[in-house]
Amino acid sequence: MLLDGIKRGETVLETKGITKRFPGVVANDHIDFEIKAGEIHAILGENGAGKTTLMNILFGLYQPDEGEILIGGKSVRLRSPLDAIDLGIGMVHQHRKLVSAHSVIENIILGHPNAGKILDLKKAEAEINVLCKKYGFKVDFDAKIWQLSEGEKQVVEILKVLYRGAEILILDEPTSALTPPETEKLLASIQAMSGDDLAIVPFITHKLPIVLAISDRVTVLRRGKVVSSMPTEQATEKSLAIEMVGREVIFRIERVKVERGPAILEVENLSALSDKGILALDGVSFSICEGEIFGIAGISGNGQQELVEALAGLREPENGTVILDGQDITTSSSLERWQLGLGYIPSDRIDVGSIADFSLIENTAMNYYFDEKYSRRGALDYGKIRALTEEIISEYGVATTSSDSLAKTLSGGNLQKLILARVLTRKPRLVIADIPTQGLDIGATEFVRNKLVEAKEAGACVLLISEDLDEILSLSDWVVPIYEGKFMDIIPGDKVKRESVGAMMAGLHLEAEI
Amino acid sequence: MKIGGYQLKLEQRVSLAGWQAALTSILAIVVALLLFSLLFIFAGINPIIAYQEVFTYAFANQFGLPLTINRFIFLLLCTFAFIIPYRAGLWNIGMSGQFYIGALSVYAVLFAVGVKSFNIIPISPVIIILFMLAAAALGGALLGAIPGYLKGKYNINEIVVTMMLNFITFYFVSFMIKEGGLFMNPGGRGESFELPSSLQAPLISNVPFTIFIALGIAFLLYYMFAKTRIGYQIRAYGKNPAAAEYAGISKHKIPLLVFILGGALAGLAGYHYFAAFPGVYKISRNYGQIGDLAFYGIICGLISQGNPLAAIPVALLFGGLSVGGRLVQGKLHMSFGVDYALLGVLMITLVAFQFFYRYKFVFIKAGKENIDVGVSN
Repeated sequence: MLLDGIKRGETVLETKGITKRFPGVVANDHIDFEIKAGEIHAILGENGAGKTTLMNILFGLYQPDEGEILIGGKSVRLRSPLDAIDLGIGMVHQHRKLVSAHSVIENIILGHPNAGKILDLKKAEAEINVLCKKYGFKVDFDAKIWQLSEGEKQVVEILKVLYRGAEILILDEPTSALTPPETEKLLASIQAMSGDDLAIVPFITHKLPIVLAISDRVTVLRRGKVVSSMPTEQATEKSLAIEMVGREVIFRIERVKVERGPAILEVENLSALSDKGILALDGVSFSICEGEIFGIAGISGNGQQELVEALAGLREPENGTVILDGQDITTSSSLERWQLGLGYIPSDRIDVGSIADFSLIENTAMNYYFDEKYSRRGALDYGKIRALTEEIISEYGVATTSSDSLAKTLSGGNLQKLILARVLTRKPRLVIADIPTQGLDIGATEFVRNKLVEAKEAGACVLLISEDLDEILSLSDWVVPIYEGKFMDIIPGDKVKRESVGAMMAGLHLEAEI
Repeated sequence: MKIGGYQLKLEQRVSLAGWQAALTSILAIVVALLLFSLLFIFAGINPIIAYQEVFTYAFANQFGLPLTINRFIFLLLCTFAFIIPYRAGLWNIGMSGQFYIGALSVYAVLFAVGVKSFNIIPISPVIIILFMLAAAALGGALLGAIPGYLKGKYNINEIVVTMMLNFITFYFVSFMIKEGGLFMNPGGRGESFELPSSLQAPLISNVPFTIFIALGIAFLLYYMFAKTRIGYQIRAYGKNPAAAEYAGISKHKIPLLVFILGGALAGLAGYHYFAAFPGVYKISRNYGQIGDLAFYGIICGLISQGNPLAAIPVALLFGGLSVGGRLVQGKLHMSFGVDYALLGVLMITLVAFQFFYRYKFVFIKAGKENIDVGVSN
């Protein structure tokens, strides 16, 4: 291995003038940077800044058009991820690549050369246990992957990479799906790993506080170029944000106080089963008034999905009632709810919120095909829908070549803009925004949040679901921690305490003096 | 692969234009005919002469052409029975069963008005013919509703259900027309009683009026998918059921609807073949072979990519080859089954060529940087 004999602080990986072009764009434009053993080197950049391309080049998925990669001082050519793994580079993907029906240990040894034909699970377990002890990971080896939380899955991914002998660890959005306590544990482990001379390269879109908390060095990419690279102590949250976006960003949207109107959504004792038949939503009651954002904070899998689907008419509730604008809609179909003023932005924008092989016009039609204004005697008025789509594209700044393009050609942020616009232009009474900014870059996140505030100002009630506590705290008029299908509390937005909400998301009640 | 200074490389297609799909299909047909000519050569027959016979008889012969057209009408209706569910992402493998039930429903109407027992029928033939048509469509639709309902309500695999129903209906036909069956021909012979000449479908230069129904439906379906709300809902469900459900499109109704529509059209094919096809006019003994031919609706539907207008030339070609193939078998003294073999080779080649819907070959100058690119996307 090229990395043998490298001491702490010496350069393990270096790129020189890495350039990668795709038709129409230069995704990476002469990128130089270096990683040292025992260093946590964060790569920061918005979506489209060239982060993913660079990551794929380092992991052997892409070949650079120009430039070279040096590992341990020697120029190497990474033809495939296998080459990268052999050289000690390990990657933990943002989207988990685990076999969910298999146990933790089976996943960790999957593909390991030492696993051989006959599995020696005992020996592997012992070896992995050493890693766990060293870096403070805790995981049940016999548990099946589907039983694990996102944070535990992440640990499995990291263990898998470490067990294969990686000494350079590339982490793609390492904390994006984790709860605050899980994030803290992970960061502690990352620091323990760096103390053991592993080089760690987290790629991060936003969450600047994390970058500042753990990294030793930070490199910011914008439009395929390195705009700055500096020791982290010289950076501030604000300076990094400006470098990433190229302009100043308003980080904290001030909570706008809107005159509270009558209740629009009234939910009484609503319960629902999960797909596995377990009571996932356990008798919640609440009401949201005109001009309010009701922010539900929680780690995914605590009943948010069931709540949202029960409200949108996609899941039959076990019991309870739902009243929208004074009308009982508990048994109404999803279509009837749309017609009564539901506006639902689903969490999965690719598989639920849009149809990849449909044009943008046809995607807009998803929320308009039933609208009499956009059809005539059963035939859709595609001319009108096209005009609306083009209006949306220009008003919301959706980057696309034409309204006839297929939805799959849009980037995540642009797709989310289209969905948001499509839903909000209907002027819904109830907006359900299910983790609406997940995976978006700072610019798009800011945009989405502003639009939600605008909807609230226009008199809608907004149900916001998020795992990002900062998002909930900065937008919501009511902050509602959810845990195991129950609301832990319903707290007015101006009286909320961050720590106590964080604890309640994990099921704990701090002895609070709220 | 290297050719001269160039390298041949396989690339994934980003998009497929209509003309590219058409060109691929034509190429596939040419290749299939070339492949099949080997069979002629092995039998000691000049393939050029053989194909000349096939095509002249199928498309330019006063006896062959009407047969071709009748087969075409039948195949086109079966193709629609496949296409409609296909656009909703569902597979109707039950066109032959729906076809059988359509035919039985027609004969049930005849039986009810007393065709079998009396010779004089008190009702006007036009009205009875309309009833026969309606019954054929209704019968097919009801059979189609079974897999459609089970799919929508309980997510039961529609392929299995439609396939099983084919067997059930096959024997049900047998039960109805053979010895002791309600629709048995008085002379026995294992076929149904015959249609009186007053109730035979009106012909326009030896072609029954069902051709207008089939062609009219082609345009109606095209319009439905391209313009209407229901067509949009079907397509949305077909491309992404989860997104369709999110948008308020009922996951129960769409499968039921497409199978009812598809079944109804396969049922009409039953009317066409056994009550409008000149020279048949009864549920014939070899009804099972016709039922097998109905499966070519799947192939025609796949080749035309679910486009009802593109299905017209495809069904015409298959209809013609099935007729012409049968002729050369007899005329050139070849062994049994040339027509099915020809359709089979055509089918395999066309399916194999679907590969080119997703990939294409490109030539790039050898020696360029990106020769050994591993994975890219």
